[in-house]
This record gives sequence, structure tokens and C-alpha cells, in this order.
Amino acid sequence: MEFLTGFLRSGVLPMIMLAVRAVTPVLALYVVWRSYTSFQKGQRRRDPVIMLWDEASGTRFPVLCWENSIGRSKSCDIYLPDATASRDHAVLMRRDEGWFICDTGSHSGVLVNGRKIDGKKLVNIGDSITMGSTTLTLWNADAQPERRKVFTGFSREAASPFKLMFTASLVHVLMGLQSCLTEEGFRYEPLLPLAAVLVMGWGLYLFSIAILHRVSFEIETVAYLLSGIGINLLAATNPAGVTTQMAAMLLGMLLFSFLIWFMGDMDRVAKFRLYIGIGAILLFAVNLVFGREVYGSKNWIMIGPVSIQPSEFIKIAFVFVGTSTLDRLQTKKNITEFLVFAGVCMGFLFLMRDFGTALIFFACFLIIAFMRSGSIRTIALILVGASLGVVLILYFKPYVMERFAGWRHVWEDVNGIGYQQTRVLTYIASGGLFGVGLGKGCLSYIFAADSDLVFGLLCEEQGLLMGLVVLLALGLFILYARSDVIRSRSTFFSIASCAAAGLLVFQACLNVFGVTDILPLTGVTLPFISAGGSSMISVWGLMAFLKTSDERTYGARRASRHGFYSAREAGGSPASNAGRPRGNPVGTSKPHNVPPERERGSRQGAHGRPASAGTGKHGRPSGGERERNREMEDIYS
Amino acid sequence: MKTVGFRSIVLYLLLAAFLGGIGFLVVSLFLQGDKWAMQPYNGHIYAGDSTVTLGEIRDRDGGVLASTVDGSRYYSDSETTRLALLHTVGDTEGYISTSIQYTMRAKLAGYNIITGLNDTPLNQLGNDINLTIHRGASVAAYEALNGHNGAVLLYNYETGEVLCKVSAPTYDPADVPEDLEENAAYKGAYLDNTLSSSFTPGSIFKLVTAAAAMEKWPDSWLDRTYDCEGSVEIGGDSITCLHGDVHGTQNVYEAMGNSCNVYFAHLANDLGAEALQRKGEEMGFNREFQFGSVPISKSELQLSGANANQLGWAGVGQYTILANPYHMMALMGAIAKEGEFVQPKLTNNTGFFNGFSQASSRKLVTGEEARALKSLLRNDVESYYGDWMFPESMNVCAKTGTGEVGEGKDPNCWMVGFCDSSRYPYAFAVMVEEGNGGIESAGTVVSAMLGALA
Repeated sequence: MEFLTGFLRSGVLPMIMLAVRAVTPVLALYVVWRSYTSFQKGQRRRDPVIMLWDEASGTRFPVLCWENSIGRSKSCDIYLPDATASRDHAVLMRRDEGWFICDTGSHSGVLVNGRKIDGKKLVNIGDSITMGSTTLTLWNADAQPERRKVFTGFSREAASPFKLMFTASLVHVLMGLQSCLTEEGFRYEPLLPLAAVLVMGWGLYLFSIAILHRVSFEIETVAYLLSGIGINLLAATNPAGVTTQMAAMLLGMLLFSFLIWFMGDMDRVAKFRLYIGIGAILLFAVNLVFGREVYGSKNWIMIGPVSIQPSEFIKIAFVFVGTSTLDRLQTKKNITEFLVFAGVCMGFLFLMRDFGTALIFFACFLIIAFMRSGSIRTIALILVGASLGVVLILYFKPYVMERFAGWRHVWEDVNGIGYQQTRVLTYIASGGLFGVGLGKGCLSYIFAADSDLVFGLLCEEQGLLMGLVVLLALGLFILYARSDVIRSRSTFFSIASCAAAGLLVFQACLNVFGVTDILPLTGVTLPFISAGGSSMISVWGLMAFLKTSDERTYGARRASRHGFYSAREAGGSPASNAGRPRGNPVGTSKPHNVPPERERGSRQGAHGRPASAGTGKHGRPSGGERERNREMEDIYS
Repeated sequence: MKTVGFRSIVLYLLLAAFLGGIGFLVVSLFLQGDKWAMQPYNGHIYAGDSTVTLGEIRDRDGGVLASTVDGSRYYSDSETTRLALLHTVGDTEGYISTSIQYTMRAKLAGYNIITGLNDTPLNQLGNDINLTIHRGASVAAYEALNGHNGAVLLYNYETGEVLCKVSAPTYDPADVPEDLEENAAYKGAYLDNTLSSSFTPGSIFKLVTAAAAMEKWPDSWLDRTYDCEGSVEIGGDSITCLHGDVHGTQNVYEAMGNSCNVYFAHLANDLGAEALQRKGEEMGFNREFQFGSVPISKSELQLSGANANQLGWAGVGQYTILANPYHMMALMGAIAKEGEFVQPKLTNNTGFFNGFSQASSRKLVTGEEARALKSLLRNDVESYYGDWMFPESMNVCAKTGTGEVGEGKDPNCWMVGFCDSSRYPYAFAVMVEEGNGGIESAGTVVSAMLGALA
């Protein structure tokens, strides 16, 4: 110990700490980048699971997604060149129970095995589906998987979740140590938040990997990395406030896990959607009535000693209400309902004078509206409407304009309107690439340093590189969402994850560019990093949308269940089924019906015959089919 | 799902905006980071527990003008040096925004974008600044100001090195007076009068009027004479010579030497406002000069709308005309050097970007006019002020002026000029507020300053 104290006083410490700060962002960058590439690497290959066979023309349609639109429109996943079919005729979708066909308001209706269906109907291998004058039969597919070409950095393999978690923890330890090692000696107090962060992160890891048997942990790793960076930063700046932040991280993780469970059942989600929407509006109303005005915005409510910012939680509800499954998208094409909901939400936010959050809701609304409607005209109309609204607000409340008065002129009034932005820029520059050290920043003396201005604090104390890595991590959420978008279990998850990622990145834009005078200052938090319990919980909640959009999230759990069923019902163990040659038809009664090789990418089966798969006698999926379905859910185990 | 997948590409717009913004921020940081970091409020530089060690500032002989020991800033041992060079060296708090300590804090702190304001060997590498300032001459000039406010500026017109730069009112940066903000004697102490102030020029402006005459009548300007009876009525009001002296028939040499107002008032009216305005602007009035990163207060000349009497007064440097000492020194440097001045500088190690700061032309008069003006100025000293005032063989060329400021105050007393000597290539501008007369007040300062340089 004396040796350590002597060493700390020797004057070499600042240089070593500088070196540590130079290494930390590199490790963080490794975690952020490898998490993304590993995530991509682990995704399902784009090979068909089942296929639809048009006996009349002999065309084979591979079914690639969990939800597939079928119709005459070329934008459909399965395009029917049939004039009698509707543009968006039906949706073929995979649910827990099996494959469903759902009529989405077609003119001529959908017939399954000759009988017209109403709403959605479970279909099995061998069932025929008639749409217009086309009849398609459901078959198992047997195409060789396409090789996905993914740039995974410098390694071909996906990094193990453990390795990434370990590196992320190392980043936290290196950051926390900066507070512990001082020239006065070793301090023990900063170890507490550090330990709490590590315990929470590894707790979630064990829960996810060991108990739930999930195979991917990349999104959680990045969220854990960012939360830990934020808490370490806060611990050095505002030790009193860090307890709240840690509690919020724990609650956030709980909310994250709960939401994943909640969204596991699509029917449950559909049932609760309306209540979630009503709840959100009621929460806003409560906020407006009982809200407390803090720094010009009435967006806080007090429950006993705890202050809560309801708008943070309503972000999650907003995504819930906005997103939708493909069959609902097809049948209910207008977005009026959601438009009204969004309008009410933003109206409340304007009444609370929380313009920054209103802007975030608006951006999220635009993303959802476009992904649902695909109509540029609708978006243009909404934008024109919104501009009119802004003009009206500026006309009736000209003081709002004052907020923008200093924009791009902050250096002209460094002690007035440009006070916060100039401090942020000065201290970002002072930090250089590697920062001046945790707790050594001067920005911490400025108001809102650990919330609105936190990007400046991060760069000042940990360096510009660390700041950029954090921003990269946030920006990559868009790519996570994008790479899941056609692989997710439903457009519900695709749209939700895109909305959540877009919302987070937009919020980061407002925060970072606001304090650095690239955009007007709006006073929103930086996801994960800013101090603020509600924000931390909400951001973890939004992570759940990204996580559920990844089909693997639910895959591993089902694998065991299906394995059990197939062994019992099909009278054979999965192992014995797996031993069967692929593509060998099981119980196919009409060999001459085998589709000829016209389909692109079709490949011959083991016996030189076109790929197909059979059904059991009773129309139940056979063991082989089950195995296929299981594969789709659980290619990764 | 394909369509939803396709539509999600809209997120790339957001991502592009995000990355674009970050790119903009990083580029701005690399280009302007030193300016951002070097703000007077930056706690890393100025507070007691400063994280950086500011480098030393030295005069041209290596004498230390400012240094940091154990985190505290120390200045020269001599109080007069501290007072004389306050506006050049700067203060600890950073109020004097034109000083070296303010404008070159990035250099002093060893700031670089890599290590920022960390106290690393990289930052301490070459963070000292050697000034071109001559301490003795500056102190002599300050002492010769004799308690008056004013501005003294002298530079080597061949190399551009500024040797003397003194502004008053001043205060001791090592012992900041407690009543600095309240005491009227310190009013404007944060301002460097040599750079950031402009004053009524008085008779030194006659050089511009004379140059305008040279331009308008290149063949006959020397032959023009006017009669002086001590006062003349032009445009319904009178124009008088200083002390009402009657000079009689004057040519331009005599009029310049006697500083005859009547002559130049007539001349200005014969030239017309337009010609005088044009010549003044050509010679640097209304123009923005830069001294390093410091913008110079403009010399002002606005003759449009002036009546005949006002134009007459303008011809002798009164009316609304203002002149800046830095500009006047540069003009003298130009006259000494065939019409084009060398960019003044305070240090020879200013760094890479400094070369680009001066964009405007440094040509202020033509070579012919420069030679003619030089001969007028030399004649002033030789025949009127007397070479005895200055050290031997300096061959001083100069013009004095007394700018009336009204409000019952004594005039601004000027002396501008240069030494027409290859050994002493100095151009100077001296302005003493509320002085007794051009020679008496400003001349004494020039004399003391040149004496210290001899």
C-alpha cells in the first residue's frame, strides 16, 4: 500500500492516466463495433423456410419472411401475376402455432382447400390457398442456403458474448479507476458505483444466457457499456445523484426484460395496445394537471420523494401505438388513428412547453408514418401541416423565437445567450482526444453539465475519442434495426425497432448538436449518458424493441419446446429426423405433381428430384417440417 | 415485409444527418479548437489549480516578461516594465484581449488538439514566446509619457518587428489595483490605445492632404502657394492657425513645417472632398487592418456632406476625422519604404497560419509620393523641429499634430515619422492625450524612445 501511495505521488500518474484514457476508447470502440458485426454474423441466412407452389403454372414462390404479403402489386413479398387477384390480397404469416393465411380485404377472397376463409386461418403443408384464379400449395422448401456476405471487421467469426461483455467491463474498470487513483492516494468510494454497474451488467448477462438460453447479447452489451460510461462519469461529477442513476439502470433492465416477455405474445400485444394508448394520454393529462414546472418546462411530476418525467415513458407507449403487424397494415391503410394520437401527445408536450421532446415525438412519428404508409405525399402533407403549426406558434408566441436568437452566434455573447454552448465547445477542445481525466473537468461547474451538456463533460474528461465512440454506438442502433427489418417476426417489430433507433439517434442529434451550436439548443438528454432516472429507464425500454426485432430473441426458448413436441407427436426424435436426407419428400402421394425446375434458385434434392417436403396424413406438419420451422427459429443453437 | 424493409431506408437520412453533424463538429474542432479552448473563462488555464503551465514570454534580449512558477503567473521584476508592457504582455485574468497572453494562449499553453490542455511534455514543447519588444525603449517611452494617457508604437519598417508598444492608462498586472473598475484614472485601461482606439489626428493629416495634391497636380503641387493671415473665412466660418500665428505666403514645404492650417484648408477646398476622400482611403483610412489576429480600430474619414468650412478643417485633420496609431505607424513605414509597408509583428515564432492573416494590400502611396512625402517630413525636422531633439545620425523625418478634442480638454498631441537610416530603420507613431503640443509632448516621447534605441 505504501508503495502504491508513493507511486501515486511520484508525478508519473498523470501520464499513465493519459495513456489509460487513450486505451479506453479503443476498447470501447472494439465492443461497439464487434457487437454490431457479431450481431450481423449471427443472423439467419436468407433461405426459404417453406414455399408456395402454383400447380397451374408450375411457379414456385419461396417464402422468406415471417410475414409475407401476397398480391398483384409488385411490391408484395409474393407477387402473383394474376389480374383477378387484389393488389394486396393476403398475408401469409408465421405465428407460434404455425403458418396463417389472412385475407387483407381482397375482392375475391381467400380460399383454403376450397373453403372461403374469414380473417385468418392456420394452414399446413399440403394445404392449397386460392387467391383470385391462382391456387398455391404450401410446401417445405429445400434450397441451399445463400451465403451472406457480411463485413465483420477483421475477424470472420462472431465474437463471443462473454468476450464482449468482458471488454465492456474492462472499459468501466479503467474509467472507474481514474477516480480511485489520485495523487493524494487511493480512494475507495468510486468503487461502489463501479461494482454496482458490473453486478447489474453481469446479472443481466447470466439471466439472458444461462437462464433464458438466448444466443445473442450484443444489444445488451452496448447498452450496458453506454450506461456504465454514463454512471462512471456521473459518479465523479455528482456522487449524490449516482444512486438514482444506478437504480434507474436496474429498473431499466427490468423494464427491458419485461417488455421482451410482453411482446413474446402477439395476441397479448394486440389486446393491450388500446390500453397502452389510453394510458399514455391519461399520463400526459396527469402530468399537465399535477406537473411541476422545472426550468420553464412543466414535464415533471412528483410522487413522494421521487420526481418522474412521464414523457420519457410515453415514448415507449408511442412506439407501441404506432407500430403494426403486416395484416393490419394491409387492411387498415390509413394512419388517421395514429395521427390523432400523435397530435394529442405533441399537443400535451406543447402545453408543457417541452419543445425538445415534442420534436423527438414528431421525428418518431414521421418514421413510423412513413414506414407504415410509404407515402411521400402523406409525409409532405404532415410536414407542411407541421410548418404551418410552427408559424402559428411563432406568430402567437413570439418569445419562442428567442430560443433561436443565439444560434450560430454563441461567441458573440459568451456570458449571455451563448453561455452553455461556448462552455461546452471550450471544454471539448480543452479535453483534446484523450480528455483531462475523470472528475477533473471544469464543465462540471456549469449548470446541467451532467444532463443537457453531458456530451461536453464526456469529451472534456474522457476525450473526444470516447465521445465519438459513444455517438457511434448510438448511430449503429439504426443499422441494428435496419438489418433486422425483414428478418423480424413481424412488421410490428420491424417498425418498432426502426422507430426506437430513429428516436434515440434523433434525440442524440438534438442533444449533441444543440450544445455544440450546430442546432439550436433544445435541452434534451443524451441517451444512456445523461443523468436522469426516467431517461435511463426509458432508453432501456426502447432497447427492448431492438431486441424483440431480432428473431433470435425468442428462438432459443422455443427450440426446446418444439423439440419436445416433435418427438412426441411425430413419433420420432429430432435426431432421427435430422438424419433423413434433406429434401426427400415425406409421404408425398403424387410424384408427378412435383414442381418442375422453373423457379430461380431452385436446387435439386438428394435424389435428383425437385425439392419439396411432405405433410403428414392428417395435415399436421410432419417431423421434417417441424424441424424446418425449428431451424428457422433456432439456427443458432 | 419487403416494402417495410425498403421504407426503412429512410433511417439512413437520419443517420447521414447524424454523421454529417459529427463530421462538421470534428472538423470545426480541429480548425478552431485552439480558439475555443483559449477563452478567458477556461478554468484549465486561468484558475489557481490550472492544469497547464503557461510558457514564458520574453523580450527581444531574452529578458523574462512573464513566467509561470508553481501554477502562478509572474511578471517582470521591474514595475515600470510591467506598466509599460501590460497591453503587450497581458494580464492574468485575460481582460486585455489584444495582448499576447490572450491572443496566443493556445501557444503559451502548448495547446494542441491531441492532448488538449493536459500538462504533457508535448504541451510544454516550445510553448515559450519570444517577443520583438525592446524593453528599454518601451520603458523610456512610458516614462516620457509622464503620466499622460496615450499610445506609443514603433517598429522596424524593414523587418516588421515591433520594438515598442506602450498604451496608457495602464496598471500593474502583478498588483492589480482594487479600484480598477471604479477609478476614473483607469478608465479604458483594458484597451490598447495603439490598436483599439482612434483619435483626432490634427496636423499629421496634412500629409494626406499634401499627397492628394500630388496626385491631382503632379506637376504643379510644389508651386502652389497660399497667403496666411493667421485666419481665413471659408464657407461662412473661420479657419485659424494654431495660436493665431500669421505665416504669410506659404509654399507646401513652409506650410508643412509651420503646420499652416490656412494653407491646407485652402488646398483641401481646391482639391475637393472627393479627391481628398479617395486619397485618404487609398492611404488606409476606413480600412480594416489586422495585427496578427487582432483587428485594428479603423481610421475614419467621412467627407461626403461636408461644407466648405468643414472641408477646410478636414484638410488639417480636424472635422470628424480619426486616426489610429497602428495605421499611422504603418503609413510612416510605407512612406519610408517606397510606399509599401512591411506587416508589423510582435514575435518571430507565430506559427504557420499567421502568414495568411494579412489579405489587404500593403501599398499605401506610390513610390513617387512616398519620396516627396519623405522629403517634406525630413524638411520638418531639419528646418523646423531641429535634429538636436533626436540621437545623432538618425535622420528623423516627422510631422507633429495637435488634434483638438473639445470639451475643454487639451489636444491630442501627435508625432508620427521614421528614421531615414539603414542603421535605424524605425517608423513610429506617438499620441499623447491632453498634451502641451506636438513637439513638447509627443516629441519628447519619440526622443526618449529613439534615445533608448540608439
